[in-house]
Amino acid sequence: MDLLGFARGPALEVSVGIFCAGVVWRIAAFALLKIRREQSRPRQSVLRYVSEGLLATASRSWPHPEFTKRTGAGEALGYSYHMGLFVVILLYGPHIALLGSLVGFTWPGLPSPLITGLAVVTLTLFCGVLFRRLTSPVMRMLSNFDDYFTWFITMLVLVTGLAASAHLGARYETLLAIHILSVDGLLVWFPFGKLMHAFYIMPSRAINGAILARKGAPS
Amino acid sequence: MSRLSDIPVRVEGLPQSAPQSGTSSTTPAGLGGGLAAILSELATLLGRLAASEETAMIDLRSLPMSPADRILLQRALGDGEVHATLKAQGLSTARETGVAGVWWIEHRDAHDELCAELLEVARFPQILASAPDEIQDAAVALQARNSAAA
Amino acid sequence: MSTTPQVTVGEMLRRNGVSRRAFIKFCTASASAMALPAWMGAAMAEQLRHAPRPSVVYLSFQECTGCFESFTRSFAPTIENLMFDVISLDYDDTLMAASGSAAEAALATAMKDNYGKYVLIVDGSIPTGAGGACCTAGGRSADMTLRAAAEGAAVILAVGTCASFGGIPFANPNPTNAWPVSGIVAGKPIINVSGCPPIPEVITGTLLQYVTTGKLPDLDENLRPKAYFGNTIHDRCYRRPFYDAGKFAKSFDDEGARSGWCLYELGCKGPTTYNACATMKWNDGTSFPIESGHGCLGCSEPDFWDKGSFYAAQSSADWNSAGETSPREVLELAGGTAAAGAVLGVGAAGMGRLRQHHSEKE
Repeated sequence: MDLLGFARGPALEVSVGIFCAGVVWRIAAFALLKIRREQSRPRQSVLRYVSEGLLATASRSWPHPEFTKRTGAGEALGYSYHMGLFVVILLYGPHIALLGSLVGFTWPGLPSPLITGLAVVTLTLFCGVLFRRLTSPVMRMLSNFDDYFTWFITMLVLVTGLAASAHLGARYETLLAIHILSVDGLLVWFPFGKLMHAFYIMPSRAINGAILARKGAPS
Repeated sequence: MSRLSDIPVRVEGLPQSAPQSGTSSTTPAGLGGGLAAILSELATLLGRLAASEETAMIDLRSLPMSPADRILLQRALGDGEVHATLKAQGLSTARETGVAGVWWIEHRDAHDELCAELLEVARFPQILASAPDEIQDAAVALQARNSAAA
Repeated sequence: MSTTPQVTVGEMLRRNGVSRRAFIKFCTASASAMALPAWMGAAMAEQLRHAPRPSVVYLSFQECTGCFESFTRSFAPTIENLMFDVISLDYDDTLMAASGSAAEAALATAMKDNYGKYVLIVDGSIPTGAGGACCTAGGRSADMTLRAAAEGAAVILAVGTCASFGGIPFANPNPTNAWPVSGIVAGKPIINVSGCPPIPEVITGTLLQYVTTGKLPDLDENLRPKAYFGNTIHDRCYRRPFYDAGKFAKSFDDEGARSGWCLYELGCKGPTTYNACATMKWNDGTSFPIESGHGCLGCSEPDFWDKGSFYAAQSSADWNSAGETSPREVLELAGGTAAAGAVLGVGAAGMGRLRQHHSEKE
């Protein structure tokens, strides 16, 4: 079996398996924890504070005005590269072919040159994000292996993807194999690092928002 | 079967006149570097031919020439005085161009398909000359025929 | 077929009434078709005329005869040109008039008379299963025949993907235990001319090039001539602008397909296939699969039968190498692993609750 066959065959199968198992494990591990009973009297009806909790997922998606000067740029940077990544992953022809083969239906994509341009922009923003993390003293103090490794492995997927689509640096089958292997690596790492924020972020905001709303201080 | 190359190509916006025979070609502004490159190569090869009788060939099918480049090349080189046809398992033509020493040779196979096209830089195309061993055989055969008739 | 190729090529030409000029024309056209420098045509003609006709032995083993059929349909040089003017084809199952013991005698004589000098062309894979019984002729297995023939060969041309890499018989589960030529013969120069079948002019061009130069052409790591197998189909495909612009046909004969868009999503293996189809094409430059609307199968590559579906894009998943990975398989995997994850999660939550309980007690 050659490298490409391995990458899109057994390696991809195992990675998807580990991804599914890991994600369910980690979600179950926090979802099944006991919710600490609030001793204070609820200030609002259950319906009210639950719905306000749900709204908190939106309201907490952008910093409060007092903080935008400090963190606004960083937030904007973050949103930009996320959107870039989503567009590149979900709207590029060969990716749609892969995802379509897994879920059973496809959708229209964007012209490849546009995707390539967006990927390059995303790559630049991604480097900007690392720069910020390394230069801001607060960020540097807060950052650990998880942050850097997650950045690295996502960057690897981006860079190898661009190299493969541009047929740059080696034979195409090798470039494509390396790109798919890096995606396999990302899938395996996903459940065990900061990438789980993809699943935690909405529930976390909703629950915290509900707790605060119950106390009469919706965010 | 009809091919892309059978569709006639008309190039627009070109100088109308072609150089006369015997004059050296001036380099017209080609539609690509292809034409200028070939003419430059021919000049070099002609120099060598003049100096040391060294012959050379350029395979036109190996060069990235558009149909327009080809027409420009034909016009640039022009027509000479000699036009030879060769019938050997298909028709071939050797045409002297307006540039002395440059011959345009087309080989066609038995199905009249163009199988080779070249520019030969020589006093005359090698393929036209009779071979020494064939001459030898012919001399022997003719002698035998003469003595049989006598 | 002559078994005394000490007669020079020039002499054969004279006997067959092929003039010297016609032969120069033939060599010039072949040199042009093989992308050799123009002066080599005349040089080849001169060299060949004084050379004894090289002896060529063609052995066919576990094959469909498609490669031989391709060989006989070469336009430049044609098989007739080759056979009557240039080479002495001393043994070939399909073309020779002799059969039975006369044929075996012809083979033995050719190999003996030209020991160390003949060109051995092989098509088909060599099965070693059942003690070699899967392919036998004249009481000898393919394995035995090849080894004996290889001993006296100057060079071996493995024509077709079966001879080069094992091809169809070699594909999973390889019931006859088939091997390519390079898996049986060691210590002899081998040129793999792969393809299922190879382009006619690639076969004859490689043979002619060896016969006229006496040297092996530049070979890639799969022992294929770089002159023909140096670029991928994708590198030279006329539909490349559509790939670059992201215009892909979604199904056969849809709007995109009719407009000649790229066939990547219909499973084209062009990007990973090394062959000359996009430039030399088939039937004297008429067309090739992509031009006719079907994606490249990758037939000149090793294991092309086992590299997943011919109709799934190269970027798609390929979990069982037997066809497209179906959403059902994905669902089964996801379900199974999610269940395993749930078990782990319940365990982890249990431990978490225990910790919560202890901390609350304090």
